[in-house]
Amino acid sequence: MNLSIKNLITFKKTPLNLLVAVIGALLLAAFVAGAVMYFLHGHHAFNVTRQHPWGLLIAMYVFFVVSSTGLCIISSIGHVFGVKEFQQIGKRAIAGAIITILSGFAVIALEIGHPITMLIYNVLTPGLTSAIWWMGTLYGIYLCFILLEFFFLTIKVDHKWSKIFGIGGLLAGLAAHSNLGAVFGFLISRPTANGVFYPVYFILSAMITGCYLIYIIYGFKYRNNYPDHLKAMFLKLNKILGMLLGILIFFEAWKILTALYGTMPERAETIMYAVTSPNFLIGELLLGMLIPFFIILFTNGQAIKPMVYASLTGMIGIFFMRYDLVHDTLVYPMTMLKRSEYQLPPTLLHYFPSPTEMMIGFGGIGITILGLYVAEKVFNLDPDPEH
Amino acid sequence: MARYGMALDYKSCINCRACESACKAENGVLPGRDNYRIWVGQKEIEGQFPKLSISSLTYQPSQCQHCDNAPCQQVCPTNATYYDENGVVRVNPEQCILCTYCINACPYDARYIDDRTVTVDKCNFCSDTRLANGETTTACQATCPTKVRTFGDLDDPNSDISKLLEKREYKQIKEHLGTKPKLFYLL
Repeated sequence: MNLSIKNLITFKKTPLNLLVAVIGALLLAAFVAGAVMYFLHGHHAFNVTRQHPWGLLIAMYVFFVVSSTGLCIISSIGHVFGVKEFQQIGKRAIAGAIITILSGFAVIALEIGHPITMLIYNVLTPGLTSAIWWMGTLYGIYLCFILLEFFFLTIKVDHKWSKIFGIGGLLAGLAAHSNLGAVFGFLISRPTANGVFYPVYFILSAMITGCYLIYIIYGFKYRNNYPDHLKAMFLKLNKILGMLLGILIFFEAWKILTALYGTMPERAETIMYAVTSPNFLIGELLLGMLIPFFIILFTNGQAIKPMVYASLTGMIGIFFMRYDLVHDTLVYPMTMLKRSEYQLPPTLLHYFPSPTEMMIGFGGIGITILGLYVAEKVFNLDPDPEH
Repeated sequence: MARYGMALDYKSCINCRACESACKAENGVLPGRDNYRIWVGQKEIEGQFPKLSISSLTYQPSQCQHCDNAPCQQVCPTNATYYDENGVVRVNPEQCILCTYCINACPYDARYIDDRTVTVDKCNFCSDTRLANGETTTACQATCPTKVRTFGDLDDPNSDISKLLEKREYKQIKEHLGTKPKLFYLL
């Protein structure tokens, strides 16, 4: 560990480093400004409504915790399941998992109206039938496990305990994340979300997100110029990612077909709206799935450098997946009767995030960038010699 | 102990919305686009001008359905939403963390955020205001000029609502979801 201030504030002034530093600082400033707006105006600073009560902040929370779970799962390939090539990424991936979940918690703390009350009554009067209770509690346990795992990986190196907490973190992460899917899957009032799809899809998309983030973090660190031991890891990662994307595309295709088939009221209309929107076609499908998938497919899994750029488009796609998940779930109004003589009949709901929501939500990425920078500076995240 | 419910002879509704005003006044609901505990839904008139079907124009007064199997109660992470001793679905503002999961889960759009307590609020059959003072009617029922609403104990065979439901046919909204709503729309 190196906690000196001088070490923290000195870095190579390359154009890319400076660009990331400026973007990170701007996003952090946006987060702080958004938080101030929220403290001044509460939920009135958001564009959420009675009919569309969740918006960008829930999407960004999901985005961050998906990233965390994904990094945890991918890192476990090495230090839990013992695949040699992946052992070298363990420390950095777990650091990323901790930082992304903390970023998610920072965002959700400004969306939940009473976070302190939540900490008290989650314990005093637990709602055991609530997927949010299970998700929150399991994510708390998950965070404890991965913090201890990181401790035994970097500060007091002990591979026996790091593996034990690694297994605990993986299991708690999988349970928590599938419960996050169930937050949407349990909504009997929303036929497009209700069912088994989301709990499974969340784990699948978390693994894909983990792959993308490993590419981006290592691509930035090594400036896309990798030593041989990393190349060997990336070639395996390509195969895993290609398979996961194939399964995701297959899942999505059947989800859409079953939702449209028979034109069931409410469900078919909502899915038709969702799949014909540019968010889905350009964001989710093209950027999130097809570009990375085709690069892996047409290069026979041998492309490493292009995959860093494909992972950037992939993460934009992952963002749209999270955003659409929230918006598409809520887009169909729960009452289709108009409430006023001088009103048009209700239609699908409109939602676009407010500036405050964007500042808090995207500002969370600034927290992640800062966290990754500090972790890189303070801890030795490279593999131990025996690896 | 009672099991309160409400029957609505909705075809008698004249859309005067006195019920909405009475509810707001009785329960101190703040002004605002999203702030309402009850409302009157209006069906679109059918046909093309000038051949409009006047009989197709019906109104559907609505509010929390006080489901026996309420999705909003099941999803609440802190049990802030609970059934009181009379089967009324209520919110304890002390325990509400404003995650708004219940608003998402309600199939009837019956919940909103109360800016006084900054927690989720909804119809509670005037439990705090009228029933607590010994009244036996809700504000919306008492004010209705065409006597659309009948409020009472579903477990009491001699209550007005029980007698009404015995002799009249009724429908319930989204009952296929298994929510077991306690609002009955008389046919």
